[in-house]
Amino acid sequence: MSAVELVRLALSRLRTARVRAALTMLGVIIGVASVVALVSVGRGTTSQITSRLSALGTNLLTINATGRNGTNTTLTIDDANAIAQTDTVAAVAPEVQTQQVVAVGRTTTTTSIVGTSAAYASVRAYEVWQGTFLTDTSVDSSLRVAVLGATVANALSLDASAIGTQVSIGGLSFEVIGILQPKGGSGFQDPDNEVLVPVGAVQKYFVGGNQVRTIGVSVASPDAIQSTRDAITSLLRTRHGIATTASDDFSIFDQAQLLSTATSISGTLTLLLGGIASISLLVGGIGIMNIMLVSVRERTREIGIRKALGAKARDILSQFLIEALTLSLIGGLIGIAVGLAVSALIGRIAGWGFSIDPGTMAIATLFSLVVGVVFGVWPARQAARLDPIAALRYE
Amino acid sequence: MSLLELEQVTRTYDMGSVEVQALRGVSLAITAGEFVAIVGPSGSGKSTMMGILGCLDRPTSGTYSLDGTEVSELADDALAQIRSRTIGFVFQSYNLIPRTSAVDNVATPLLYQGVGRRERHARATAALERLGLGDRLSHEPTELSGGEQQRVAVARAIVTDPAVLLADEPTGNLATHQGLEVLEVFKGLHASGRTIVLITHDLSVAAVADRQIRLLDGLVEGQADGRLAA
Repeated sequence: MSAVELVRLALSRLRTARVRAALTMLGVIIGVASVVALVSVGRGTTSQITSRLSALGTNLLTINATGRNGTNTTLTIDDANAIAQTDTVAAVAPEVQTQQVVAVGRTTTTTSIVGTSAAYASVRAYEVWQGTFLTDTSVDSSLRVAVLGATVANALSLDASAIGTQVSIGGLSFEVIGILQPKGGSGFQDPDNEVLVPVGAVQKYFVGGNQVRTIGVSVASPDAIQSTRDAITSLLRTRHGIATTASDDFSIFDQAQLLSTATSISGTLTLLLGGIASISLLVGGIGIMNIMLVSVRERTREIGIRKALGAKARDILSQFLIEALTLSLIGGLIGIAVGLAVSALIGRIAGWGFSIDPGTMAIATLFSLVVGVVFGVWPARQAARLDPIAALRYE
Repeated sequence: MSLLELEQVTRTYDMGSVEVQALRGVSLAITAGEFVAIVGPSGSGKSTMMGILGCLDRPTSGTYSLDGTEVSELADDALAQIRSRTIGFVFQSYNLIPRTSAVDNVATPLLYQGVGRRERHARATAALERLGLGDRLSHEPTELSGGEQQRVAVARAIVTDPAVLLADEPTGNLATHQGLEVLEVFKGLHASGRTIVLITHDLSVAAVADRQIRLLDGLVEGQADGRLAA
């Protein structure tokens, strides 16, 4: 018998037992759909984490002060300037922060005021929406100018027309010179909820001293991250006069490291989700086997008739195997469709969009076929081995 | 030359502790074109005969040659091939495939011969028309009367144009007039040259055949231990 004949036979059989076929398929549908949906959720999460992290700045090293020199942190503007002299460093932005109330007329908001330099935009990957960013001139002269993050601008109901106007920061008047493009973000903190002013202005008006809390360093190329990190470590140890046996009074935080850690965590999570979902596919497969065994029992007489009419053992084997395969394959295809619909819905709600991944679908299809063969072959062999005389007499 | 020839055929069933001898050395020969009835009471070995003649079963000892082929030692697949090519079955309980139309039922043996779909349909339709069921092609078994079902079964048995038609109590489940109708069909088929072996316990049914072979306690009557010719 040809494959076409067998498929035709299987389809006509499934038509005569529609409800049973549908219920049997349901197991596979749920299994495949959950695999597809959960893998897609895992992939969505991974790509979201990756894009969020790279939005924080590429090739970024963040140096934080961990030691204290009296009441002051140990990192200074001079450290930042020294680091800027390193060959593989593309840009350096010192950061000193303070929480202040920002007001325009009666509208106020409390936000983080970041004192920094003109390099901040390239180090932290910000873009200006309106006006200009901090310039070297304004930073060097510690002018009272401010660049507003998108969230702050929103909170104060400021738009493009606000450029050139004054806002009050901690009671002092600053000129708005720019508003940033929103970066968007969730999970950590809102990167748009800050106001950037020259580092000297924060030190002069709010915190005093020459200290900074953080230095952001943008490395020229990803390959140079480790060597730059080592160079900065030895530079700072020398500058801070740390004995060889003592530990660092600063920590260097590597964006790439975080990225790879986060990616591997979410990759493991995807695998875990997929694995859990596979269990339901397994259960679906057992459902197929169960119903095929029942079917072989019920159709014992039919098998006897077919054998009397000239069917060979392999004709019967193929007939039942193809039936199981048809069940699992149709179930698998419907499952993929359902899975894609669910992923599209989750993608829309979570906001990471939705993409069809041919690899996942090919694997899901293959998986459901394998389920059909694995769980169909035993019942089919039972059918093929039946003795024709006993089968014909079976009531 | 005989179409079917049994030589000293025995069939023993192993029922655990007991061995049951259903056939105890049967020899018989049937020529092409004959209409033979194998008749005997229940327990005489008729069903076992049916299994062996129909190549659904193998003799424990002895030889069986069918249409020139020695079949008693063949493997399962080879027997299936013989059934497919050489034998048409008609059973007491019709044995149509449920939820399958008359024409698809009749076409099934052709399916296992590898005949194409269109030709299957044409030949099945022709066979059904020949048995006066031209208006029942797409009816399923449950939509047909017993007599009609048995005629569908006969159509299915002759659609492959087999060398021998093997009927096991074909009238057993039918009302008298329907039974007579089916027997008329057999007569007609015999008249057109077909070899028919009819197995029955009913002497009046057996009387339709040209020759009766009586079976009793696993032996052909008149054959002492099967050593004498029938």
